[in-house]
Amino acid sequence: MSEKEELKKTSAKAASGAKEGKKKTSYISAKDSRRITKFNRKITKKLENDREEAGKDPASYTTKMRDPNNVVEFDNMCTYFFSDVGTVKAVDGISFDVPKCSTVGVVGESGCGKSVTSLSLMQLLQRPAGQTVGGEIRLNMGDGTALNIVNTPVEKMQELRGNYISMIFQEPMTALNPVFRIGRQVNEVIELHNPEMTEEEVKARTMEMLELVGIANKEGVYEMYPHELSGGMRQRICIAIALACRPGLIIADEPTTALDVTIQAQILDLLQNLKDKINSSIMLITHDLGVVAGMADYVVVMYAGRVIEKGTADDIFHHPAHPYTIGLMKSKPVVGKKVDALYNIPGSVPNPVDMPNYCYFRDRCEMHCEHCSGKYPPEIRISDTHVVSCYRFFETGEVLGYPKTVDVEGLLNG
Amino acid sequence: MNKGYILSRLIRSIISVLIIMVIVFILVFTLVPRNSIFAKDDGFRKLATKPDEKLEYQYNIWQKLGYLEFVRSADYFQEKYEMNSPEMKEALEPGSKAAEEFKAEFEAKGYTVETYPKSGRYFAYKDIPVLKHVGIWLTNLIKIDTPWAIKDENNPELKRGLSFGTTETGGIALIGSGSKHKYLLYTDSHFPWLHQNIIKLTFGESYPTYQGLDVMDVLVDSQGKEVKRPITYATGKEASSGIIFGTLTYKPVLDRLDKQKFEDNYANFKTQKDNPSMMGISFLMGIFAVVLSYGLGIPIGLLMAKRKDKLADKLGMAFIIFTIAVPSLAYIYLFRYLATAAFDLPNVFTTYGASDVRSWILPVISLAIPSIGSLMLWTRRYVVDQTNQDYVKFAKAKGLNQGEIFRRHILKNASIPIVHGIPASLAGCIAGAIVTESIYAVGGMGKMLPSAIQQYNNTMIVALAFIFSTVSVLSVLAGDILITKVDPRISLTEKAGRS
Ligand SMILES: Nc1ncnc2c1ncn2[C@@H]1O[C@H](COP(=O)(O)OP(=O)(O)OP(=O)(O)O)[C@@H](O)[C@H]1O
Ligand code: SF4
Ligand SMILES: [Mg+2]
Repeated sequence: MSEKEELKKTSAKAASGAKEGKKKTSYISAKDSRRITKFNRKITKKLENDREEAGKDPASYTTKMRDPNNVVEFDNMCTYFFSDVGTVKAVDGISFDVPKCSTVGVVGESGCGKSVTSLSLMQLLQRPAGQTVGGEIRLNMGDGTALNIVNTPVEKMQELRGNYISMIFQEPMTALNPVFRIGRQVNEVIELHNPEMTEEEVKARTMEMLELVGIANKEGVYEMYPHELSGGMRQRICIAIALACRPGLIIADEPTTALDVTIQAQILDLLQNLKDKINSSIMLITHDLGVVAGMADYVVVMYAGRVIEKGTADDIFHHPAHPYTIGLMKSKPVVGKKVDALYNIPGSVPNPVDMPNYCYFRDRCEMHCEHCSGKYPPEIRISDTHVVSCYRFFETGEVLGYPKTVDVEGLLNG
Repeated sequence: MNKGYILSRLIRSIISVLIIMVIVFILVFTLVPRNSIFAKDDGFRKLATKPDEKLEYQYNIWQKLGYLEFVRSADYFQEKYEMNSPEMKEALEPGSKAAEEFKAEFEAKGYTVETYPKSGRYFAYKDIPVLKHVGIWLTNLIKIDTPWAIKDENNPELKRGLSFGTTETGGIALIGSGSKHKYLLYTDSHFPWLHQNIIKLTFGESYPTYQGLDVMDVLVDSQGKEVKRPITYATGKEASSGIIFGTLTYKPVLDRLDKQKFEDNYANFKTQKDNPSMMGISFLMGIFAVVLSYGLGIPIGLLMAKRKDKLADKLGMAFIIFTIAVPSLAYIYLFRYLATAAFDLPNVFTTYGASDVRSWILPVISLAIPSIGSLMLWTRRYVVDQTNQDYVKFAKAKGLNQGEIFRRHILKNASIPIVHGIPASLAGCIAGAIVTESIYAVGGMGKMLPSAIQQYNNTMIVALAFIFSTVSVLSVLAGDILITKVDPRISLTEKAGRS
């Protein structure tokens, strides 16, 4: 295919937008569909077997942190979904760190892989379809060793979840079990991870947590059912559950999206305060740049399953380097106010089943240069803390390396 | 939970049952041609050669069933003239002055006056409009027994009152005198141990089958052979009898044998038979079938949900589809054939009767099969549905393992709709046993309904409609009360309803 032809094809694709992508995927022939199903069965079986093998040997999942001051390091992690329409590379070779006692904001438009990233860290992907097929996720165990979450067996994960890493979900209305009293649901996580504690100690800890999350009537709430509480109260309970075992990392996946604005600020303040109280870090996933600006120490910007820019909050908000980030910032109003401007950049994200082999943002980019037609841009360091994946800095910055992707067909054969 | 709410639901349930009964009553008594009720009556057929008796028999039955009021001229004249007197004889002659007066008087009262085909004498009848018929029937529906119930001209000395005492079998009793029943309340060793005779539902007389009995008695009295046991009567006489002392009722005229047994006028009684009543059999069979279907359907459904899309799930699905797609009549016959061929089990209930376990096995399984299928399906669906809920994801994030999540969280949530459905399943098994009971010749209400329809036993149809609709309506209420015990989100209150 000549360069011209390729350009034509891609620009046509960009023009017709997401519909095109969808159409293409739904017009899979019966033969292709059978081929995909067969392939998925084979590959997921192999991956599950490999994982089981790796889980048997602690050496395969114990490792060392690159920097002991980090709680979590993502290192070229790839999470794919083997779906009926083909392999969806939801997250494809992302690398970023969560330093101790800090808040890392992960931003990006809908579908860019933020939730998949956090679920990979918790090993809560919908298996067998969803698999972390490559890279490492290193969790600092605090004793000089680290665990590679990708290979950690399920039993070990169950000890970590709710204990070393906790998660707060978007929907407080449905995250609590409707038929159990609040007290029991908080007790449950404490008992689970502290089997040596007596009933009274557990209850005392629960009460302490309820107080910490700002529940005034804690005795009453202890005996209540979730439906008797408001959304904000329920999210406070979820936070109490998440923090009850003093985890090193709290993942908050859009924790306030379902709440109204005044409650949002309260909940975020609460999270920030508690984080400092128990010396943990927060990985805050959100659409809302205002929230990130108010809370985050570091920001990771994701686009179509890749990290395109990362740095301190100051780097990202005051010196955005990637054209996508620049676009975001342009549409960002005053700090502290909610924005839905992430969607205002013309064009759309490429089809995740069939990613192009050049910069994913090129079809929407107003600044592309001659390098941009080449392969996907490498990570380029433009200051001590600021890294961006864009050819505009190819000459001036320090090239760190290209994101690694996984050849799934090859995985099966070798 | 709110007592007022439950009371108002109960009242509404009763009203809806009454409405159902009135509708069934009106349909049955207007749509079934009144001549056809004699089709299955042998006594009526024997009168074919005696047209006058036949006609009188017919009108008497109609009067008894409440279709019409019937007056024979003979009865009318009996009040005016001496029996067998010449005036009487003359009056009865067709065309006599008295006869014409009879005609004129009753026609004036709105009766239709006609003549017997053979003797040519007059008789009069007046149709009772169906709404009045319903009204009369409804006012007689509930009978309350009091010491003033018996009006016996031949026994003006009859004492009236209540006292406490014991029964012949040693139970404690509230004894009535002047009431229809001797023992208004009494205890004995039979379920439910405390019995009452004060309030009785009477639906009317059964006809043409079980003639002379109230349909309620037909349904609730034990059936089969009398079970005799050695007993001692109040007079000290010893005998072997199946008498149930609790059922003693007033008998106006005592014969010599009665006087040997009883010291008072309470000498009518029912006897204990070897098979349970129709209602008893149907309820027992329904309970057994529900226990069996929950005992099998829920564990299998849980297994299917756990092994979703695996072999066990697919086999279960095949079974469910089979029971849904194939009419129950077809697979019950098939099942009966296979089971009787493979095991030494009777293919009808009557072979060994109710006291033999073998009689029950096939009917109960046949009755349970369709509910097993639907329970499997629903259990699987509820569990799979719960598995995808957010709270399960959150529970995983807390660090619980699959087993703990399933046992502690999913099961309780999935059980809510299952528990809600238990009373309705029971009602379904009791009222839905028509096919099974007919196929296995089980003497229960399910078999009674089609035969009552075939035999034009209108009163019986209405009584069965009452029982089935009561069971269904109450089961809905029971389900709603039960769900409040397992689901904290639901409370029964008058105003807010479900919150
Ligand atoms: N179970 C799944 N099966 C197939 N594809 C999936 C699955 N879950 C996620 N994906 C794919 O992964 C991509 C990333 O999804 P993800 O939920 O991480 O997005 P997100 O950034 O969290 O978006 P949002 O802001 O809307 O929550 C999506 O494009 C989606 O197509
Ligand atoms: S690499 Fe090129 S196309 Fe991609 S964002 Fe940078 S300038 Fe635009
Ligand atoms: Mg998400």
